[in-house]
Amino acid sequence: MGAWRAPEEALYLTGEQIRRLSPGFEDLMADLYWLRTVQYYGFQRIWGGQRYDLLFPLADIVTTLDPRLEIAYHYGAIFLCEARPAGAGDPQAGIALLEKGVRNNPGNWRLRQDLGFFTFTFTGDAQRGAQILMEAARLPGAPFWLETLAAEILHKGGDRETSRRIWRQLYEQSEEGPIKYNALTHLRYLEALDEADALTRLVHAYEEKTGRRPASLDELRAAGVLRRAPVDPAGVPFSYDREAGTVSISRHSELWRPLDTGGER
Amino acid sequence: MGSSLSRVAAVAANTYRETVRERVLYNLVFFALLMMVSGLLMRQLSIRQDEKIIKDIGLAAMDVVGTLIAVFIGVGLVSKEIERRSLYPLLAKPLGRGEFIVGKFAGLGFTLLVNVAVMTAGLYLTLALTGRATDPNLLKAVYGIFLGLLLVVALALLFSTLTSAVIAAVGTAIVVVAGRFSDVIHNMKEVAPGAPSWLAPALYYLLPNFRDFDLKSRVVHFDPVPLSELGWITLYAALYLGFALGLALVAFRSRELV
Repeated sequence: MGAWRAPEEALYLTGEQIRRLSPGFEDLMADLYWLRTVQYYGFQRIWGGQRYDLLFPLADIVTTLDPRLEIAYHYGAIFLCEARPAGAGDPQAGIALLEKGVRNNPGNWRLRQDLGFFTFTFTGDAQRGAQILMEAARLPGAPFWLETLAAEILHKGGDRETSRRIWRQLYEQSEEGPIKYNALTHLRYLEALDEADALTRLVHAYEEKTGRRPASLDELRAAGVLRRAPVDPAGVPFSYDREAGTVSISRHSELWRPLDTGGER
Repeated sequence: MGSSLSRVAAVAANTYRETVRERVLYNLVFFALLMMVSGLLMRQLSIRQDEKIIKDIGLAAMDVVGTLIAVFIGVGLVSKEIERRSLYPLLAKPLGRGEFIVGKFAGLGFTLLVNVAVMTAGLYLTLALTGRATDPNLLKAVYGIFLGLLLVVALALLFSTLTSAVIAAVGTAIVVVAGRFSDVIHNMKEVAPGAPSWLAPALYYLLPNFRDFDLKSRVVHFDPVPLSELGWITLYAALYLGFALGLALVAFRSRELV
């Protein structure tokens, strides 16, 4: 049902047309379209084969009807930027939505902060991300650490620690719900990357000591090098490439993500 | 003067008693309350927007339902009295036509006040059920809605003095919708370049500007609405009510009732 109703709504009427047709009830229409957007995202994620073609048009309609509906920018950007299957894997669309939010709400530091974070995290443009965060830091009510974070991004670029700080800030700022959960997933992903790196180092140390690479990670455990099972924070065993001697997050883990679609730095 | 006021009050009280007997009134108010409570069901679907959605639905329901009541009951205020011939014995009494018009207006206005109060209580109750703090600023939006409803009653009454209830309902609906699209009328040149240059400003100033009474979005977004602004919209409503009721009186006086 949602598969055909959304195209009807999104393609036949633009946000501007709906706004003109509902004088005095624009906010109510924005709410209805927001509910529709959330349903569309949920439907497509579970039953629609993770195709999110209408996510941006719907979020655009919502934010045209109510340009101050902050949550539509936040969630819309997350839904759009995150790699499949969690999101549309379209960082440019997510960033365009946040840019619209910043244009419509020039005094809102949170939206500008998200724009800076997302620009850096999903496009890797440290300079632009840091510049936006500096602008956010100058707005009334902005937290003091934004400026420090902007400087850190600028100097360290794609440093994993900087990413961790960003997601920790988003986690601490968010109320219980999808945004907090999304930030937590990113933090667990970074933790998994750290653990995979540590395991790779152990493999190299074992090789140096014994003169040969272990056949599996279980061999490290049997030799007493590893004290616990080599699983990521989601509880899925890490993948081990014996040829390369590297350990990585398993494709079967919920924390795995393709590096070419918004992969973490 | 005192007896004139008591005659107006008597007509208003009768009108109130008559209108509260209308079944459509209860259906509409029940529908509005149902819509407000439905906001509770949307909590899980909206991702932390339940408070805004409940407020938006509640205020919109109040606006739409109030307008429907004002139109459908208002258009029968005079025309039905003429059709039922119940107006003649009334006017045979020492009751001026002006007193009759003002009394009818006040009676339906009071009915709407009671309805708006019930719907406001329903809105606050729904918000309380979600654990939200009471926001007294919502009353500013409710006040704007109520002023708009009074204008609709005055327009319905004006049409009611001119024609039958059905045509009056159509006429009132057209004026009310046009008043809500006042910004489009203001920019008519862009929409209809062939229209005479005097038409847009004439319609813009003649039709009631319902947009001025719409404080819903600002209140829901916690924007400040100064009391002076409420004062200005009250003054505007009072002037327009005087204009519409004055026209209704002129039309009613000039009407041959035989």
